[in-house]
Amino acid sequence: MASVKLTNVKKVYGKNVVAVDDFNLDIADKEFVVFVGPSGCGKSTTLRMIAGLEDITEGTVEIDGTIVNDLQPRDRDIAMVFQNYALYPHLTVFENMAFPLRLKKMPQEEVYERVTKAAEILGITEYLMRKPRALSGGQRQRVAIGRAMVRDSKVFLMDEPLSNLDAKLRNQMRAEIILLREKIDTTFIYVTHDQTEAMTLGDRIVIMKDGFIQQVGTPTEVFDMPVNLFVSEFIGAPKMNTFKTELVCEYGKYYVTPYGAKVEISGEKAKKLAEKGVYSQSIILGVRPEHITLTTSENPAAIACRIEVNEMMGSELHLHTVTENGDKLIVRVPTVTLEDDERKALHHGNTIYVTFGSKVMHFFDVDTEKNLLV
Amino acid sequence: MKKATDNKIRKKGLGVKAGRGIGNTAVYIGLVIITLIWLFPFFGIVLESFRVETPMQVSYLWPHKFGFDNYIRLFKETDFLRWFVNTGIMGVCTAVLQTVFVLAMSYGLSRLRFKGRKFLMNAMLVLGMFPGFLTMILIYKVFSDFHLIEQMAPLGLIIVYCASSGMGYYVSKGFFDTIPKSLDEAARVDGATRLQVFYKVILPLSKPIVIYTILMGFMAPWGDFMLASYLIHENSQGMSVAVGMFEWLSKTMVNTNYTMFCAAGVVVAIPVTTVFLLLQKYYVEGVTGGAVKG
Repeated sequence: MASVKLTNVKKVYGKNVVAVDDFNLDIADKEFVVFVGPSGCGKSTTLRMIAGLEDITEGTVEIDGTIVNDLQPRDRDIAMVFQNYALYPHLTVFENMAFPLRLKKMPQEEVYERVTKAAEILGITEYLMRKPRALSGGQRQRVAIGRAMVRDSKVFLMDEPLSNLDAKLRNQMRAEIILLREKIDTTFIYVTHDQTEAMTLGDRIVIMKDGFIQQVGTPTEVFDMPVNLFVSEFIGAPKMNTFKTELVCEYGKYYVTPYGAKVEISGEKAKKLAEKGVYSQSIILGVRPEHITLTTSENPAAIACRIEVNEMMGSELHLHTVTENGDKLIVRVPTVTLEDDERKALHHGNTIYVTFGSKVMHFFDVDTEKNLLV
Repeated sequence: MKKATDNKIRKKGLGVKAGRGIGNTAVYIGLVIITLIWLFPFFGIVLESFRVETPMQVSYLWPHKFGFDNYIRLFKETDFLRWFVNTGIMGVCTAVLQTVFVLAMSYGLSRLRFKGRKFLMNAMLVLGMFPGFLTMILIYKVFSDFHLIEQMAPLGLIIVYCASSGMGYYVSKGFFDTIPKSLDEAARVDGATRLQVFYKVILPLSKPIVIYTILMGFMAPWGDFMLASYLIHENSQGMSVAVGMFEWLSKTMVNTNYTMFCAAGVVVAIPVTTVFLLLQKYYVEGVTGGAVKG
């Protein structure tokens, strides 16, 4: 249990390949922080620098107030779960989990006690005498987590622990990690490329791109108030629709004009735009697929679009549509509200009319791609 | 109609099966012949070693009289035991030291990234292409200054066998490369030092390659003649089996010592064969299953 603090951390590979730059983050004691981003964004590198598996080019990493830059991994009191489990194939599950304790020369009874307790929590007691090769992927991952658990270390690091599992097992393990977290109340740093994992697990999410932090915030914050276009498109599935349009300011009222429709911006959003001093200009408008509703052609705010692909997800439909000028627009429709004949109309090739209110809009600057309201 | 087709298929199937059977038989007959040809010299040497009637080479295979006379002479009348012990010591020392050097070298090259690593690997590869005997004169000169020749030649030879052994890193480095790096990392995070990572995690997983390195190290002194004869000169106390026995085949001695030479050959083969038989089962043991996904 400890806080982790990263100050101006930078990692350069070779002469000039910058993997991580200007990384500043304070992780509180017992916080669950998720690093998320596309591959190659530097999230794993950052985690490995905290673990001590990569040298830190510049800046400092502190664990519990101590600068650990020059400490070996074994002196940092951290536990880590690897993507490929990294179990010792020549040792039984019990010995795998006991490995860190034996290195500490812990008395046999305590080793036994800790390992069996962890095995019980993870539900792997019956496999303790097996070798890793006789286990399924999910069981192996549990053993790997168990090996990290028995140590009671200050920080628990997880490097894409679920990405080798199939989708069903991944969902199940995700739920188990949430439960586990309550049981082993410690500081977690979790790396993933999957935004769903990030949203469901993290107290705070750190979204990274090209070595830089884009945004740090709670799941709600990054979802409702993405600081830039990248974050807005990365968080949420299917991804947010974004398109260029005009923001018009007339007589103190704001409108956007997507595809000829005219939608008034009301309330909070309009007030904020005025506060920020944003007036008529070209913008990138962002609307999440689930915030778009079906409407009829009579609606003045209606946008006509043609369905290209209709993905039936069960509880909802994902309609990949094209607007008149060729922009793509994804619409998410919950199936439960649809009448049979309505559903039939959502056939590919058909034209539908959609609309969205100002409450769900996000405005981004065309050049900087930054959120105009942040 | 259907029945006819069935029969046709059945016939065809039988034909394929029979064809395969004939093919296999032919292959096995061929293999047996090759094996016989290959084993014949060994068989001959064993028979010769038990021949009692004459120490000379003869024109027939089966001894007229069997006995252990050659073996008794070997240990009583010659320095063979001394040579055998010399070679044994060299074999064990080389096996141990060379294994340590080779494994340390290969593990280092496999896991550590340092300046000049590529250059070092290439340089060693190129150096390794020069035949070893090019250095013989120099080695002799240096070792004679250090008195590591003649009687002390076994020690000198151990140094030579081990000194450059790290250059033979390719095979074991290739093996270490197949062990996932994340195992090292996991162990380091779990609290192991680099050394502990090596002997607690990597070594147990590398049994086949460790065995292979030990075998190679042990065999080298048993088979080496050129360098050994050069350093040993003609000092009977410092001889290895290969150098010592070679003397017996010289023109003046071949007629008195031929069967004894064969007996010595059999004795020399025993330790190498034993070591190989004991260790060979590890060769095939696959141990990395289950390390990572798969």
